[in-house]
Amino acid sequence: MTAKDGQFVIETFSLTKIFADWWGRSRVVAVDNLNIKVRNNQVFGLLGPNGSGKTTILKMLLGLLHPTKGKAIVLGGDSKDPRISAQIGFLPEESYLYSYLNARETLDFYGCLFGLNSRVRKARIDALLDMVGLAGMANRPIGTFSKGMARRIGLAQALINDPKLLILDEPTSGLDPIGTRQIKDLIVELAKRGKTVLLSSHLLADAEEVCDHVAIMYGGLVQREGSVEELLERKDKTQITTNVLTDRAIEQIKRIVEKDGGEFEIKPPMQKLESFFIDIVRQAQQQQKPTSGAVNRIEATDAQRVAAVSDVLDRLVAAKIEPNKKTQQAEAETIEAGPDLDVLSKLAQQASQKISEPVEQKSLEENEPQSQDGIKKDLLNELTKPKDLTEQLKKKDKNAQEKENE
Amino acid sequence: MSRVWAVAKNSFVSAMRMKTAIVFMLLLIILLPIMSITSTGDGTIKGRIQSFISYGLGLTGLLLSILTIIVSCYTLSSDIKHKQIYTVVTKPIRRFELILGKVLGVVVLDLLLLFVFSTVIYSLTLQIPRLSKVKGDDLDVLNNEFFTARASLKVNFDQQILEARANDAYNEMRRSGQLDESKNKQQIINEMVEAGQYSMHSAAPSGMVLWEFNNVKPRDPNDSLFIRFKFEASIPPPDKNIYGVWYVGDYRQIKYGQERMKTPIYVTPRKEVVKAVHEFQVPASAVAPDGYLAVVFYNDPINDTTVIFPQEDGFEVLYKAGGFGTNYVRAVLLVFARLVFFAVLGVSLSTWLGFPVAVLCSLAFFFTGVINGFIVGSFSYLGTNVSLFYKYTVEPLIWLLPKFDQDYNVSKYIIDARLIKTGFLIFAIGALAVKAAVLLIAGFIIFARREIAKVIV
Repeated sequence: MTAKDGQFVIETFSLTKIFADWWGRSRVVAVDNLNIKVRNNQVFGLLGPNGSGKTTILKMLLGLLHPTKGKAIVLGGDSKDPRISAQIGFLPEESYLYSYLNARETLDFYGCLFGLNSRVRKARIDALLDMVGLAGMANRPIGTFSKGMARRIGLAQALINDPKLLILDEPTSGLDPIGTRQIKDLIVELAKRGKTVLLSSHLLADAEEVCDHVAIMYGGLVQREGSVEELLERKDKTQITTNVLTDRAIEQIKRIVEKDGGEFEIKPPMQKLESFFIDIVRQAQQQQKPTSGAVNRIEATDAQRVAAVSDVLDRLVAAKIEPNKKTQQAEAETIEAGPDLDVLSKLAQQASQKISEPVEQKSLEENEPQSQDGIKKDLLNELTKPKDLTEQLKKKDKNAQEKENE
Repeated sequence: MSRVWAVAKNSFVSAMRMKTAIVFMLLLIILLPIMSITSTGDGTIKGRIQSFISYGLGLTGLLLSILTIIVSCYTLSSDIKHKQIYTVVTKPIRRFELILGKVLGVVVLDLLLLFVFSTVIYSLTLQIPRLSKVKGDDLDVLNNEFFTARASLKVNFDQQILEARANDAYNEMRRSGQLDESKNKQQIINEMVEAGQYSMHSAAPSGMVLWEFNNVKPRDPNDSLFIRFKFEASIPPPDKNIYGVWYVGDYRQIKYGQERMKTPIYVTPRKEVVKAVHEFQVPASAVAPDGYLAVVFYNDPINDTTVIFPQEDGFEVLYKAGGFGTNYVRAVLLVFARLVFFAVLGVSLSTWLGFPVAVLCSLAFFFTGVINGFIVGSFSYLGTNVSLFYKYTVEPLIWLLPKFDQDYNVSKYIIDARLIKTGFLIFAIGALAVKAAVLLIAGFIIFARREIAKVIV
């Protein structure tokens, strides 16, 4: 049984977990009458401080803990049923891996647990090792890996079955900013491919960027729940982001705003520390500084980086790509939200190409034509009969060229 | 099945890479050849080989049992403790498949190690006589008494007849008024049964002891029968030597007279020290065509003492019934069955116990198995007093304990060149398999219900 479009992928009914002491006396109410519904193709974030019951919820959903009361339905059934767990990818809060296995053997082991045949396993392992930047360290025991490197293998492990539902417990903990960026790109990309992601996090900036729906937990209870835009939209302010403007344009805008009775402040937008950091590391890599850690190919542009994630997924995934309506809607809303006047709407349109955090927007623009031209479908077909990587790389290069020409 | 195999492979690799197995292998690799050179036994070449194979098989069995216990207790409990189990049980694998995989991994490890080391012991054993350049009589002795597999005949006294006789005698005594008033009926009967048993394996001066066997089937009438015995004297003579005459053959023919005897009766006068095991041969043609064989010991009046054959190991007839190689393989199979049992035990225990406790329990199982006879004996004694309680509580538990002593002591079979009978082999392996299955099912049930990520506050 699988969840169809529009159905809930995860549904809990008064899910409660009370931890008892040795004598069976109730001690800690970790989760209290939880009712959440995760829709198909949603990126659902469970947010909350430490000890608010996020991990306990995930453990109950996965059958690692038994609920004291209530019920959880995952993909239309019990997650302990092998037919259902075959569609779930799980990344625990820490990477609990076998230290004596090397990276390749680890992924092979998990591939075997999913009953994948050796050709599929090999193709997917190569793709995943590439993706997490550990292809060069495939034969090193996990025990010698740093926490972040182990985390990357943990993530690869969660993706080996091309899951329909991805459950990530603190996905970015222990990762460097590049790894964090990759995971976020990956989550966005997976959502675009129709996957559902449930993640828990206390790193709010990360959650804000990728989640479209969040539940904020405290003391085992959901305090607030809703879509990110709904929750975060400030009804009393408007933000305009543009290229550097001439003094005359600024003066004009100022006049319009003051005429309308609003307050006005002007300053150059700050670059995010994350994008700054990635720039620096990219420069260092171009000078070919050696490292013994994870090697992330940071592509020359953000678009190429996103394309790389997308490419790995192509090698992994066998799902159809749906054009992302969500962001288009979001843009439309921004436009509507503005007070009035043609000038502003024009400015807003211009700005959409130069906002301080252009990654997702750009990725969408650049990926959409690609998704329509059918190249990806070819790649997807090839995934079922894994083949030479060089050909796929050639195609990737071709894509990049085409983009440049455009 | 591929999932079970994946788990098995993982736990096998774990044992190999974590050097537990390597340490045990090194120990054996170093110790076995040293033992083959240094073992001396009683000084003869046979004694030397016997002590080598005894220590070799014993040591291999002991070390591999301990290794199995450690690895099998570790493999699952460490996954739970270090939480790797989170990413395993959330995959499409049933929990019982996980347990089976863990057991299988340890079994494969055992299979490999046992194969290697039993082969090493076997070839070293074959090499010892060659290297020591044994010839002539010594080689014959070796071939007859070591490099062979002999079936054993032992007497089982018919307890029912003895009790019936004791009952008759009791009734007779009561009628004639000779009863000892200070004792009750059961005590008197027990005494008489014991006396009857005693009289059946002891001989007063110029008296005899007779042992009779049916269904004796030597492979070849030209082979030998080996009479193996040990006796004691009620008043040991100063030089500890007892004179006796042994008659081996078809005792029933005596009434027909010497001319009409069809099978020969072999007469052997011998002089032997008390309280030591002795062995002599007679041709297997002494056995009657219908498989009947009698052995008579005549106590020479010169001894002037009663000669007693202890009930346990006082008398035995052995004859060749198989080869050394096959018998050795059977012994190794028994050891392997034992290792499989421990693999199941360790994994099943660690479904609900942590590593140290599981190891402790398994070792307790192991050592009670080694002294099983003693434990069962002590409980049986208690059992006569609280029999009902015992029968439903302690007895099933004792039944679950494995047995490795007495009849189940494999190296004793090899040392004495005694055949491990097919029926016994199947029974012993079957009993272990049933016990292992009970433990395995218990493990399945516990593990299927267990909260893997349970936090104890």
